[in-house]
Amino acid sequence: MSELKTPHAGDDKSRDDDVVSLLMRQHGDIRNLFDEVERSKGEERRDAFRRLVRLLAVHETAEEEVVHPFVRRSIEGGEQVVKDRLAEEKSAKETLSTLDDTDTDDPKFMPQLMMLRRDVQEHARAEERYEFTHIRRSTDATNLAAMAKAVKAAEAMAPTRPHPGVESGAKNVALGPVAALMDRTKDAVRKAMGNG
Amino acid sequence: MTFNPLEQRGIPLDRQLRNWRELNVQPIDPDHCDPYTRCRIITMNGIEVEAILFSHHLARNTVDPEVKRQLARTRYIEAQQQKVVNWLLPGVSSVLETTIAYEQVAVDLTAWVARMEPDPYLKQAYQFGVLEDFDHLYRYANLYELIEHRKAESIVEGLTEVMPGRPTRLHHRDAYDNVRDPYDKDATNPLSKLHALTIMSAEQQTMNFYMNTGPTYMEPIARQLYQEIGLIEEEHVTHYESLVDPGETWWEQLVNHEYNECYLYYSFMEQESDPRVKAIWELHLNMELEHLHVACDLMRRHDGREPQEVLAPELPNVLTFEPNKAYLRELLDTQMDLTTLGAGYVREAHERFEQMQEQIHGGEAPPSDRVMAEHDATFGREYRVQTEGEHPDPTQREK
Repeated sequence: MSELKTPHAGDDKSRDDDVVSLLMRQHGDIRNLFDEVERSKGEERRDAFRRLVRLLAVHETAEEEVVHPFVRRSIEGGEQVVKDRLAEEKSAKETLSTLDDTDTDDPKFMPQLMMLRRDVQEHARAEERYEFTHIRRSTDATNLAAMAKAVKAAEAMAPTRPHPGVESGAKNVALGPVAALMDRTKDAVRKAMGNG
Repeated sequence: MTFNPLEQRGIPLDRQLRNWRELNVQPIDPDHCDPYTRCRIITMNGIEVEAILFSHHLARNTVDPEVKRQLARTRYIEAQQQKVVNWLLPGVSSVLETTIAYEQVAVDLTAWVARMEPDPYLKQAYQFGVLEDFDHLYRYANLYELIEHRKAESIVEGLTEVMPGRPTRLHHRDAYDNVRDPYDKDATNPLSKLHALTIMSAEQQTMNFYMNTGPTYMEPIARQLYQEIGLIEEEHVTHYESLVDPGETWWEQLVNHEYNECYLYYSFMEQESDPRVKAIWELHLNMELEHLHVACDLMRRHDGREPQEVLAPELPNVLTFEPNKAYLRELLDTQMDLTTLGAGYVREAHERFEQMQEQIHGGEAPPSDRVMAEHDATFGREYRVQTEGEHPDPTQREK
């Protein structure tokens, strides 16, 4: 792989006034982090995995707070669509929590990571095909921008990039703090949506 | 090479039908597969689609109902083969990811064929075309990073470089200049017939894919880029199909199609790295051998000729997916500024070409240029994979 880095959504120069395009770019960021975990070893892998877990936590929380409520409310049959997505998320979270208890150097780690990667990827494509398309056609530019703003607020809660100083802090984050991170993300999103 | 499909017998036709369980193949893993496995899948899908469409056209030109039934039986099996092959592609891939894989096929398949083609006029046709596919790969790769934040490198994995070819805006030629001269069926090397059929089928599938999937995108730039490149695929199909001698009889063409399928399944079976996919190539080869025999019988009956008269005495050297980086760089260095004039090639823009350019662009930048501008506005750079150093053409180096 080349040295060329694709910046995370929010760090590129996109205007981020469309929640769908923002979340789609985040799906790419998540896949890129999976690649990074797979390619690295030792301390580097531990760090990449921490960043992956954080991004997944923030991304999923933002979707739960922003996307799913909108789909449930605004789309015919939305209740069932969201139910299917939540089932996928639950399965991915279970794999994630098993994985989080496994050291990144453990031989069991990679097969579990592959399972998680598959679950997350299938979930992401299902969102793009069954939720995102409906969001774009059932709302206007103002609402797309407002939802994008809420997702950005969530992002600000968890630096998911290897900035200096963040790496050492990230090492110590275990599942407990991730759950706390999800809570803080939730609060930030609700505040940005104007109902916090 | 001692394999002669005419002397082999495969699976009897009445034992080729597959049930739902056998059709339900496990797709490849897009993040961990051999990129050339995916290229072979895309190629064989294009070949099977052409087999099906050709057989339909032949049936529409056939009076005898018994012959129509014979064609329908083989065609149904071919339709099952197409389902098995194309369903190896995974549902989790986006259209754009599959598109980048299509362009990797176009680059490395056409480059290999150009390298191996014995006829200089046909070779030039492939060399000309490959520099355009090469540029399409570069444009789609930039769209991919823009929309999905993913790098084309995660698909082509450094086997194929991603950088400018002949600029896409210059691919729009007057339709008159897209028609080539055909080879002479009685004089040409049998390998040339297989090459022409293979590249024509691959480009036709690409054209079909873009014309149908392009409008599934919501992003305006993506919709427009698919329209633009989709129109160039129309030019490419015209370019390559006109290489085939139209004097071949329908039955001769049918035999050539079936023979080519044997050649390609055999080639891919020999080089496949994924054992599960290899087993499919082997099974399909054994089916095709029988389809070839049916086609040969039809040719003997209707043309009163032996198929050996038009086919190679044995299979040519296997068609191979492999990196063609040095070859492509040589073409980039020497053939970037070519365009077509009539059935030939020139370096200067001529009147008919300029008129077409003026009309189609309407004084604006085409989508293939705008995608680069949007990418640059987002990332402050463009996306390339240059594993072998700087672009050979100094004017095409990144600023």
